[in-house]
Amino acid sequence: MFTRLQTKLTVLYAGLFALALSLIAVTVYVAIAHNAQRAVREELAASGTVFDRVWALRTQRLHDGAELLSRDFGFRAAVATHDGPTIESAVGNLRQRLGLDLAFTVGVDGEVKGVDPSRLDLQKLWSALDARDDAQGVFTIDGQPYQVISAPILSPTLAGWVVFAAKLDEREMQALEKLSAIGLDAQVFDQRGEQWISADRGPANAALAAFVGQAMRGRLREPAMLGAGGAQSLVLVKPIQALDRASGAALVLRYPMAQAMAPYRPLMAAVLVVGLIGAALVAAASWALSRGLAKPITALDVAARRLQRGEEVTVEVNTRDEIGRLADSFNLMASEIRQREADMIRQALHDSETGLPNRRALEREIERRLAGLAPGEQVVISTIGFDRFPQVRAAIGYEQATQLVAKLGQRVAATVPGVVVGRLTTSILCTISAASDMDSVLRRAERFVPSLEAPILIGGEPVDVHVSHGLAATTAGELDASRLIERALIALDQARAARKKLMSFDAAAYGDPSANLSLMSEMLEAVRRGQLYLNHQPKLDLRTGLITGVEALARWNHPTRGFLRPDLFVGMAEETGHIRALTDYVLDQAIEDQARLAAAGHDVLMSVNISGRLIDDHAFADHALARVAATGARLCFEITETAVIGNPDVALGVLERFAEAGVSVSIDDYGSGLSSLAYLKQIRADELKIDKAFVMTLQAGDKDALLVKSTVDLAHSLGMKVTAEGVETREGLAALQLMGCDLAQGYHIAKPMALDALVAFLDRWSIDLPEEARRKA
Amino acid sequence: MKHAVLLMAAATLWGGQALAGDFTVTVRGADGKPVPDAVVMVYPNGQPTKGPIKFPWPYRVAQQNIQFSPFMLVVPVGAEVSFPNLDKVRHHVYSFSPGNKFEIKLYGHEENRTAKMSAPGAVAIGCNIHDQMVGFIRVVDTAYAGKTDANGVVTIQDVPPGAVTAKLWHPYMRALKNERALTTTSLGAGPARETVAIDLRAPAEHH
Repeated sequence: MFTRLQTKLTVLYAGLFALALSLIAVTVYVAIAHNAQRAVREELAASGTVFDRVWALRTQRLHDGAELLSRDFGFRAAVATHDGPTIESAVGNLRQRLGLDLAFTVGVDGEVKGVDPSRLDLQKLWSALDARDDAQGVFTIDGQPYQVISAPILSPTLAGWVVFAAKLDEREMQALEKLSAIGLDAQVFDQRGEQWISADRGPANAALAAFVGQAMRGRLREPAMLGAGGAQSLVLVKPIQALDRASGAALVLRYPMAQAMAPYRPLMAAVLVVGLIGAALVAAASWALSRGLAKPITALDVAARRLQRGEEVTVEVNTRDEIGRLADSFNLMASEIRQREADMIRQALHDSETGLPNRRALEREIERRLAGLAPGEQVVISTIGFDRFPQVRAAIGYEQATQLVAKLGQRVAATVPGVVVGRLTTSILCTISAASDMDSVLRRAERFVPSLEAPILIGGEPVDVHVSHGLAATTAGELDASRLIERALIALDQARAARKKLMSFDAAAYGDPSANLSLMSEMLEAVRRGQLYLNHQPKLDLRTGLITGVEALARWNHPTRGFLRPDLFVGMAEETGHIRALTDYVLDQAIEDQARLAAAGHDVLMSVNISGRLIDDHAFADHALARVAATGARLCFEITETAVIGNPDVALGVLERFAEAGVSVSIDDYGSGLSSLAYLKQIRADELKIDKAFVMTLQAGDKDALLVKSTVDLAHSLGMKVTAEGVETREGLAALQLMGCDLAQGYHIAKPMALDALVAFLDRWSIDLPEEARRKA
Repeated sequence: MKHAVLLMAAATLWGGQALAGDFTVTVRGADGKPVPDAVVMVYPNGQPTKGPIKFPWPYRVAQQNIQFSPFMLVVPVGAEVSFPNLDKVRHHVYSFSPGNKFEIKLYGHEENRTAKMSAPGAVAIGCNIHDQMVGFIRVVDTAYAGKTDANGVVTIQDVPPGAVTAKLWHPYMRALKNERALTTTSLGAGPARETVAIDLRAPAEHH
């Protein structure tokens, strides 16, 4: 309900106190009310008793007076002799002396003396007087209740009665009220039929009258509570004897409770006021207390949230209690968290070996700079790669090599103003330039690059440093940090490939490697759709001057990218595992093309390039040999010499199978790689193709000519024919012929061409070979 | 005193053996108990007796033990009733009864006073000193009258046969003038009897 501790505590304590106080107040009130009621009850009962006594005394007094008169011999004589004037004077005398309202005589014969008989209900009066001796009680005269006292006049037999009547009016009641210690209200009620009517008061109180009737019927002789709320009063109904017993009369003593409670009102008010003050004090005190309690908790709460946001926080709490200790613990925890976080950030952003910022730190810095970059400005970074690092590491040891990297980093930082240096890989550093465009960076680099290559002292010994630089730049929104670093690394590769010290990223040279990934699926699709086709490059037999063979070369006319370089998609197919599908296609097409050539009357050996990745693949070998066996094709598989290195035993076995099946094997591009004489010995090849790099620039008497001549001789001595590739000139062709080369291939003879063109080419082929060579062959 | 005893015995004898012309009335209260001191008056042909009337009992009401004795006395009109004081205290005997008012002021022991009963009717006698003393004298104008004894029986002797008017009176009887007529309206030669029940009022108390 309450979300604040302070409010909660305040409400709880103030509420509890108010509750306790209310209980006390209620208890006090109930006790007072009970007490007051009891006091009033007792007073009423006492007043009732007093009234009885007063009534009895008064009755006695009147009776005594009446009897005195009734016994007076002279009076009796007057009554007996019906001496009216004497009687009237006698009763009048006594009436005055006793202060009575009425005094008269009633004869046994009903004769009334001393009062106007018309005022009386004589029949009723006479009956009442006759019914018993000394009849007395309340009797209504003129509609007013009177206390009536009678005494018989005996002379000596009953002659009549002396009757005294005292009005029970307000004056009388007030006299009675004065006798009471408390301010009672006394009234006389008399019965008129079923109704009880207050004799001496104005408008009848219906509730009171009803209550009196009920009390009289129920013979209730105890004070009872009448009414409700402020009008509540205690009422005691005391029956008074009526003169005629048929009717009744009652004295009603009433005491309003409000009046009884009145003396206690100041006490109640005092309790209430003290209670309210107390509640207010408790509320204020618990507010203050809970504030003291809740404030540090709130502070802790706020601090915890700030800590969560990574802000630096300290909670100021001066108390020495649990909360103070909690705050201390919190502060300690916060500082430890900050320390640990700093360590973690440091570890996350620094290279542990060299202490240089790591790749993540560099990326962050790049991102930070990109975010603050003005339009037109660039973030320029440079990768600095140690050349031949593995060799250096092998030479000076791992630890010193790492030290070398660290020192170079320090040198870069010291040399190039404003640069940020980090370590990207084991052997590559990266700098983020302070300059904001590539051109200025390039200009500055010219100046700094040489100075970076001074030998670095490791353990007192100078170590030569050779590094290459790759630069890349981006504007904001062009590249993200990791792409920029990637480009700088590519630029480094590009620099190394180009054997340059420094290069900036060449997007054109790099192409779009990501697009090449989709190329393979497209290639498979192209195989199905016939977008791939074969061009054939004729091979000239230098001895006969005839075209004895062709090399089948895969070509791809891409629907959107146009003509694709074979080394692109062939290389991709090799790298992505799709070379088998490509080779299968080439094989089938070559076999088909050979058949067509044969149909056109040209019997040529069909050479097919087989990737090194397929040489150790028995499944491919099975397939290829099955095709050969099925079609009777005459094929030559050209295999790059280095390809067999992967799994030599399997590869050599496969080559054996090819040879056994009558498929020629040709060692392609001989001389371009690290040609191994050992492999040359192992491979049972039929042909050796000398790489075009040696052939294209072939001139008599130079080194290449010597190499080609000796290679031709080597091949011949190993039982292989020799094919020279890249023959582009007539002189070259002649030279090869002279060297004893068996076959030649190149633009001078023919470019690779489509099947139809090949047929036409073969139809009209003739060459005038130097006679000497032909003869010699 | 001796006379009174003799008279009582004679009355008992008469009551037991009613002769011709005797009229015996038995009076009982509402509770069935015999009512003594009820006075029966018989008027042959409804007429009062002419000439002097003489009853056999003494016309005397003594005061003895602060009481009138007898309580009830029947006397003829004009009788002189004596009020001997047999007590050691004084008495002040009076009557306010109409026609027979008298007052015998304080008189002592052994003093004898008389008062003349000059009018027929009931005479209530009291003592001004002792309120509790109440007695009655019934002054009658017929020779045929008497009061009931302790058994509530009275016999009126030798009533001439023929039509009669008979009345019963008792000072405490609930009736107009404490009197009622008896049902017997004629008497034969033989004895007649009547039993009557009356309702008595409690005598006024004297404090």
